[in-house]
Amino acid sequence: MADQAASAGAPLLSVRDLHVRFPTERGTVNAVNGVSFDLYEGKTLAIVGESGSGKSVTAKTLMNLLPRTARVSGEVTYDGKDVRALAAGKVKHFFGVQMTMVFQDPMTSLNPVKKVGEQIAETLRYHLGRSRGEALAEARELLNVVGIPEPARRVSQYPHELSGGLRQRVVIAMALACQPRLLIADEPTTAVDVTVQKHLLDLLDGLRRDRGMSMILITHDLGVAHGRADDVAVMYAGRVVETADARSLFFDMRHPYTEALLRSIPRIDDPVHHRLDPIPGRPPELIDPPDECAFAPRCVYAQADCLGGVPTLSGLVGLHRFACLHPTGTERGMAAMAANRAAGTTAAGLAVTDRGGGGG
Amino acid sequence: MAGTGHAQLRDRDDVLLRVEDLVVHFPAGRRSVVHAVSEVSFDVAEGETLGIVGESGCGKSTVARAIIRLVDITAGEVLYAGQDLAGLEGEDLRGVRPQVQMIFQDPISSLNPRRRVRDVIAEGLAVWGDDIGSWSRDRIDELMDAVGVEAKYGARRPHEFSGGQCQRIGIARALALDPKVLICDEPVSALDVSIQAQILNLLQDMKRRYGLTVLFISHDLSVVKNVSDRIVVMYLGKVCEIGDTAEIYSHPAHPYTRALLASIPEPAPTVDVSEGDIGDELPSATDPPGGCRFHTRCPRATGICGEVEPVSEQVGDADHYVACHHPVAVQVTAR
Repeated sequence: MADQAASAGAPLLSVRDLHVRFPTERGTVNAVNGVSFDLYEGKTLAIVGESGSGKSVTAKTLMNLLPRTARVSGEVTYDGKDVRALAAGKVKHFFGVQMTMVFQDPMTSLNPVKKVGEQIAETLRYHLGRSRGEALAEARELLNVVGIPEPARRVSQYPHELSGGLRQRVVIAMALACQPRLLIADEPTTAVDVTVQKHLLDLLDGLRRDRGMSMILITHDLGVAHGRADDVAVMYAGRVVETADARSLFFDMRHPYTEALLRSIPRIDDPVHHRLDPIPGRPPELIDPPDECAFAPRCVYAQADCLGGVPTLSGLVGLHRFACLHPTGTERGMAAMAANRAAGTTAAGLAVTDRGGGGG
Repeated sequence: MAGTGHAQLRDRDDVLLRVEDLVVHFPAGRRSVVHAVSEVSFDVAEGETLGIVGESGCGKSTVARAIIRLVDITAGEVLYAGQDLAGLEGEDLRGVRPQVQMIFQDPISSLNPRRRVRDVIAEGLAVWGDDIGSWSRDRIDELMDAVGVEAKYGARRPHEFSGGQCQRIGIARALALDPKVLICDEPVSALDVSIQAQILNLLQDMKRRYGLTVLFISHDLSVVKNVSDRIVVMYLGKVCEIGDTAEIYSHPAHPYTRALLASIPEPAPTVDVSEGDIGDELPSATDPPGGCRFHTRCPRATGICGEVEPVSEQVGDADHYVACHHPVAVQVTAR
């Protein structure tokens, strides 16, 4: 589905060297540490990571939704405009119009004491200056677009009268109301069941295609990212550690974290009682992180040089990039693995057995 | 089932837990009731892991809670080693409880935040004293070591541990009384992807080490497949399909099971489940559909499905039972 011609020209959204820090009582939390990516018109970028990886903070930064205490640096350019300058200028009809967001929990993003039709209409009246009647008629049409049966009846219902799946469709309808060019979906299906998840992802996919929207899909679920994204960025400890087109990322990955994450999840086609390969240890602290590869303590490839500084993303934006000195599937990676196996331990002191990791 | 029936119950000497026609209703005001669990029957043999899978509202957690009597049983039997837990009260019920222990979904809220984790783990032993094996420092150290939490951290409180560590502590607490049956209610759903595998492997190790019989409840079909010898697929308080895990995943016969499998977002799906689109509206459990409860969403439903409730029947000669008027034909391999 990747249409190379569409990738030509300037990207719709371009993020360069984004940093986000939160001062707290315990110290400064380095939530996002130098994230860069491009998103082209009509494409979907999935940002994958675990809790604390910085994926949601990145999304909130784009939408100007961070608390006032956050310290942000870096560039965010949308259609040639500096988004952070727009945010500072209190621009009224940009966020929620050009760029909109769908959140994880539909119940908290909807007002419980307002009919869903009114909530959608509110967006249209505020941003596009529609009259009440026009806005309600459009809201009904939007409910139809997002596949809600009996929209004429549903517009006058309250959120609690709808199932979780329908509520999330209402939230999507609100996000679509002003015909955005970029939709950011932050874990849009985490709170719903798997059959509903499939429908919602199909819906988002279809809308993106029909309307030529671009989408950023934020998820912890590698399966969700795989089927739905053109490009994938894997985040760990506030950094993008690997980014590539979805196919390369899932079938020819370079970063040991991507590899370990894919190996650790139970897959439906694995045999029953298949022994899982967990990632040892746990995610790093974001306060005063040591000057080393953040994944090194958990990595079966780790060598002495991994502890000597944070590796940067290789290559040019838009290509398959990874931040690793001993990438999996390369000679350097294989040599690192062989050395660690022979020594029985990594440079960071992690025990390596014949089972651990793999590579090659 | 989405129906009833007993065809799946096995006549074997090693059946440790047998649930027969279990019904759980919750009052919902104005004389209406939530039909959370309706005539559910299954059994678990000693040393087996039975997975219960289904979407939210299917009654899987209620089944688990009913077995250990955390919710009241409306009707039916829960036979544990031949004894009906449904009728037990007072001291008799208390006497069985150490043998059936449970771990919960949210590892942090299931531990008392004000207590040291060593005391959390030891509480059951302190209560039961010499009936089971007396409280000793060594015993707690051994349990902490078994689940992979360093004993030197025993004086810390739950908030000082990560979610994965808290789940390990919850497992140690459940194992302290040397139970025969361990009920796991969504034990990894609240954990990060990279931690889930650690806990799943730990549960497998503990099962082997302590000779446990496990009831494993999850909405995640890949997780359930990984841990279970047999599985039960539930929908709206009823059993759809039950049997050997590999058999059901390779030849799903119930349209609902097929729809669930087809919905999994998987890096590279290999199970062929081409027909599987069902609507997203789960009917209300206060007024469940008549006949087969799944008929309102089922792509194969016909007139009979809305009128007659299907009864479970064996599929071929395998350990595989389905309650459906129009099960998907399963090729029976000659042996």
